[in-house]
Amino acid sequence: MTTNGHQQLTPEGGAAPDRRVVITGMGAVTSVGVGVREFLTALRTGRSGVRPLGAFDTEGFAYANGCEVVDFDPGPWLTRYKPEELGRATQFSVAAARMAVEDAKMDLDLLSSGKVLVTVGTTDGESRDLDHLVGLQLAEGEDGLDPVVARRVPAGRLSVCIARELGLSDVEAVTIPTACAAGNYAIGYAADAVRAGEVDYALCGGADAVCRKTFAGFYRLGTIAPERCQPFDINRKGILTGEGAGVLLLESLDSALARGAQIYAEVLGCGLNCDADHPVAPNRDSIARCMELAHSRAGVSPAEIDFVSAHGTGTRANDVTEAGAIRKVFGDSPPRTISIKSMIGHTMGAASALSAIACALAVAEQFIPPTINHEETDPECDLDCVPNVAIDAELRVVQNNALAFGGNNAVLILSRFEGASP
Amino acid sequence: MATATEEWKQQAKDIVCDILEIEPDEVTETSLFKEEHGADSLRAIEILAALERNFNITIDQSELGGMVNLDGVYTVVAKAANWN
Repeated sequence: MTTNGHQQLTPEGGAAPDRRVVITGMGAVTSVGVGVREFLTALRTGRSGVRPLGAFDTEGFAYANGCEVVDFDPGPWLTRYKPEELGRATQFSVAAARMAVEDAKMDLDLLSSGKVLVTVGTTDGESRDLDHLVGLQLAEGEDGLDPVVARRVPAGRLSVCIARELGLSDVEAVTIPTACAAGNYAIGYAADAVRAGEVDYALCGGADAVCRKTFAGFYRLGTIAPERCQPFDINRKGILTGEGAGVLLLESLDSALARGAQIYAEVLGCGLNCDADHPVAPNRDSIARCMELAHSRAGVSPAEIDFVSAHGTGTRANDVTEAGAIRKVFGDSPPRTISIKSMIGHTMGAASALSAIACALAVAEQFIPPTINHEETDPECDLDCVPNVAIDAELRVVQNNALAFGGNNAVLILSRFEGASP
Repeated sequence: MATATEEWKQQAKDIVCDILEIEPDEVTETSLFKEEHGADSLRAIEILAALERNFNITIDQSELGGMVNLDGVYTVVAKAANWN
């Protein structure tokens, strides 16, 4: 990976300036709508994706709400694959990638003629299929295993199948497993690759599917909310597991201008760190350092951040720790800080990718999405979380937080593109 | 389940030793899981879950605070199973 401070050598041996990186296409599969327009409407209106979970038998759990994607048909998005050849998370990632390409009005021949990076972050990969296979093995023995499902399992397919579906061959396809921060990791890596001139285009984001293993794990930790997700609320009771995918198309500013593309936002920079402090508890000072790193990489000061899209899971531990880190960096008057997890639950590896899409839509459309289900702000958090109703706002620079178990933090900084619109 | 006191206590102790990866002679009724046996919060949840499964009981997560040693575990299990 390169850093913004590095310069690449041109074939002539001179130094070439780093390219500016812009977002020109986005695809979203979410519990509140499929496609970027539908997702935008959901964010503007504060739509809730919560419903009783149907992905697996929830008998024995005292409560089992979640944010599942319902009525999603991957068929129209697939040309080279049959839907049953792909696990659910891969169906999401491939569909969202094709949506991003179409949204960008990117010609497939042009795309495949360039060097491309495909990078998808995930928490669980196709654990849903593993759940299913283990169930079959217990019920019927090894002879009962389903070879079609078994072939869907490798997590590398979340990215490789995008490359194959879109007919890309001069491509690096990589799945990033940094769990709940993986979407930002993927976008940060992609932005670095485009900035350095290593690739012409990047499809980056995250994908995950609801599965029994992850629900049961969070349930056992006591972090699942019985009914709804209420980030920063004094009565918050935890997360809701969700699913979906977000994929963004990145290219250089010159490339976007040359083909007359729409530009949602510019990627200014990304900060990553890992403190490895605790298996599940976030570390305030480490999160604060990650934000400062992101600001430094993006070349912005804290005062320039117009709002923060928080990790904001709605657990007692996350929200207080994250709010504390925000105060440490921003002082006593932090920017408005929202959590879209109130609407779409915790989509794991897709979470920060969908949150990045929300940030790009926010700067493009000049509004801040709300934190829904909000009744009373916890004084220990003490943030303006834009309760329940979206607001119009002048936005230039926005920040997208992602915090994962094990202390993997990733903070992404986007800005409104203020150049000449094509 | 009507289990003799010594028997269910032994079962609970075996579960704790198994999860903390310690020998039965290393643990006393008052030795502390966290400070003396290297347990962390996730191990504590693992112990709670294993006790629930073994004794077919439900232990409220708020009881974790009292499960600092074997005495604490016995108290919590007895309360959850109404063996008091």
